[in-house]
Amino acid sequence: MQNHDGDVVESKTESITSIQTSEIDDWANFRDDDIMKQQSAIQAEEAVKIPFVGDKEPLLTLAAEYQSGSPILQEKIKVLSEQYAAIRRTRGDGNCFFRSFMFAYLEHILESQDRAEVDRIKVNVEQCRKTLLSLGYAEFTFEDFFALFLEQLESVLSGNEASISHEELVQRSRDQSISDCVVMFFRFITSGELKKRSEFYEPFVQGLTNGTVEQFCKSSVEPMGEESDHVHITALSDALGVPIRILYLDRSCDDKGSISVNHHDFTPAPGNPTNDNANAVKPFITLLYRPGHYDILYPK
Amino acid sequence: MQASRARLFKEYKEVQREKVADPDIQLVCDDSNIFKWTALIKGPSETPYEGGVFQLAFAVPEQYPLQPPQVRFLTKIFHPNVHFKTGEICLDILKNAWSPAWTLQSVCRAIIALMAHPEPDSPLNCDSGNLLRAGDIRGYQSMARMYTRLAAMPKKG
Repeated sequence: MQNHDGDVVESKTESITSIQTSEIDDWANFRDDDIMKQQSAIQAEEAVKIPFVGDKEPLLTLAAEYQSGSPILQEKIKVLSEQYAAIRRTRGDGNCFFRSFMFAYLEHILESQDRAEVDRIKVNVEQCRKTLLSLGYAEFTFEDFFALFLEQLESVLSGNEASISHEELVQRSRDQSISDCVVMFFRFITSGELKKRSEFYEPFVQGLTNGTVEQFCKSSVEPMGEESDHVHITALSDALGVPIRILYLDRSCDDKGSISVNHHDFTPAPGNPTNDNANAVKPFITLLYRPGHYDILYPK
Repeated sequence: MQASRARLFKEYKEVQREKVADPDIQLVCDDSNIFKWTALIKGPSETPYEGGVFQLAFAVPEQYPLQPPQVRFLTKIFHPNVHFKTGEICLDILKNAWSPAWTLQSVCRAIIALMAHPEPDSPLNCDSGNLLRAGDIRGYQSMARMYTRLAAMPKKG
């Protein structure tokens, strides 16, 4: 019978190149702590390769990536490039949806200076705070994350002491201490919304994990690094009243073989304070989904 | 660093408030270092740990609460998910399922729950796990009770 430590170690070692085997010669003493250290070492290694939020790149770079790949994907990228000009990549660390949403939203506010939208989202954020409290969350566990998001929101509006430039927004999104905390803020928001409307979300959650909404939030929403699915996106969009458009770049095509790029608009459901007019708003956040990953897309 | 300190200070105040509400947990911060805590937890009733008091050591990382605290048993305990020599605990919320929604206090509660509901399929203590997996409940309980008496109860006389 195999030791629990041994199981984990075996599955991990194959993908690890940077750790010398001599460091782990004593397998019996190789503990979960070591595995966690190793994981963070791998994360640090990956971090050098791609920042949390990359630079804006022309869509051509995406085409180059698939040059020798599937013809369907090449064709779809062509279709995509008729309407979209650029892509901004995010790190594939399991937080890419939330990270993409964070940057795309703050960048939109920075560029549009849409104060009405800021006032509107603040109403929803306050509602989310009350939701978490009523669900029994201790305020001190989430208040710092809320405060940090509201701070970022203020800073992208011009004309106050804390105002920042676009360049600074990029820098902040790459700064772990800010970026991860904003991601965590969205995770709290998403979890609160799922639990608040658990009856509505339960069938969707059961399709994914076979557990309750409560269990799903604990295992797949609140922990950092857990990937997002439709359920997360729907809940975040509902909670904040922000519509999100997602384009799907995969190998699917219709029966006749004609190529089009599918998209889906997540439209905030009525129920939260400011969501009633949201149906009329065209999504200003557009993300590109490739199986397992989200990046930001820029329309022409 | 500053964020983790501020958060721990809030937890400290919360702990003072909750003392009465949670008599099974006594969580104490090191006098000179807010990143070091110890806890005394009561073994849950109707388990082989009943009547014992178990000491836990917490080492809180600077990235807390984005990263979990390291927790281990200082008191010897015979349990499938606790390393018999090091006291290390196999519990998902202390590893990949951690989130800042947890607190040192609620981690203690989760550990008490783990004591009452061992997970023999992911053992750190294979002897203990094997007893349970083989269905030898009596064997597991008597070993666990013996170590509770030896290590987690005040010496008689």
